[in-house]
Amino acid sequence: MSCHKFEPMIALYIEDDLAQAEAQAVESHLAACDACRKFALEMRESQAALKALRTEFVDDAVLLQVRMEVLSVAAHRPRIVAWPRYAIAAGLVIALLAGWLVRQQADKALVALQPLHAILPVPPARWAIQAHQPKALAARVRRRSKRQAPRFKSEPLVVKMITDDPQVVIYWLVDQNGG
Amino acid sequence: MQELALLMVSDCADAQEPEFARLVRQAKAGDAAAFEAILCQFERRVLLTAMRLLNGNLEDAKDAAQQVFLRLHRSLHQLDANRHFASWLYRITVNVCRDMVRMRARRPVVPLEEAGDCAMTGGTEDAMRRDEQMRLIYAALATLPERERAAIVLRDIEGMPTSEVARILGSSEVTVRSQISNGRVKIRKFIDRQQRRLP
Repeated sequence: MSCHKFEPMIALYIEDDLAQAEAQAVESHLAACDACRKFALEMRESQAALKALRTEFVDDAVLLQVRMEVLSVAAHRPRIVAWPRYAIAAGLVIALLAGWLVRQQADKALVALQPLHAILPVPPARWAIQAHQPKALAARVRRRSKRQAPRFKSEPLVVKMITDDPQVVIYWLVDQNGG
Repeated sequence: MQELALLMVSDCADAQEPEFARLVRQAKAGDAAAFEAILCQFERRVLLTAMRLLNGNLEDAKDAAQQVFLRLHRSLHQLDANRHFASWLYRITVNVCRDMVRMRARRPVVPLEEAGDCAMTGGTEDAMRRDEQMRLIYAALATLPERERAAIVLRDIEGMPTSEVARILGSSEVTVRSQISNGRVKIRKFIDRQQRRLP
């Protein structure tokens, strides 16, 4: 390894920031290289100069000035408390749950209409939804109708025919399974 | 000796944890005296750290310290006194100083005469030499990129372990070690160049 590549390692070595194996590699190199030994010595000097900043002091009057300014601004600021945030979050959760429940109820109501399919050739839920409901809901109901379609097919279609004579009513039973 | 004193200061918060937790609880409840007590406990550290991150400019450091403590006041309700409060405060300090530097679009290099304006003590020849050395160090720090400067300030001047510096800066220890290493070499070379210019 060249001396140039040892520089960053020496910078860590002088402050004991290297792992043991790396520190040993640096020590071996320093023992054999005058230039790097000189560099390590200079690094120690600059680190000492850097650490001299630790002795800096700040006048108490400056600290007091900062403190007074902060306290003055803080005193005029409305205190933020946590509970309104929790209340808003809880409100949102309740609103979402309520929305979900309403939607579930609406779906159940639509499903309840489905026996009419047995009588009418066109499933009422399908055309009713297409006419009055948003597209997404209509699509959902259409899918549901498709899924449940075999169940309706197995039931016989009843067609009631009324004649001129009120005493005569013809019921036509059609087996939808092709029988 | 100095290092020992710093170690004692940094351990202070842990040793007084129950007392500090009580102060935080009272400050959260709106007790201004408790908030002031927290301020007193940390104001010197915050102001000095800000000064080191802001090229030794005391006025900027005062502004930064005010912002840090106002953020603390604003965040009191979500403050957990038992979880690395000092680290959190240092992170806020670093962020506020970074924002200030960016907002004022300062150039990273400041003239030697302007650097470290608060550290000047004047007086004896020793004091003047010391002042000169501090100016030189501040000028060297000013040449570093933000992240390297923050890593050097926290590790070498504040005396924190690398793991703590990594936590404050939100970086990995490997990255911080690399930043520290690069920073130290750059500072050494800057000082070297400046000393060669002197007659």
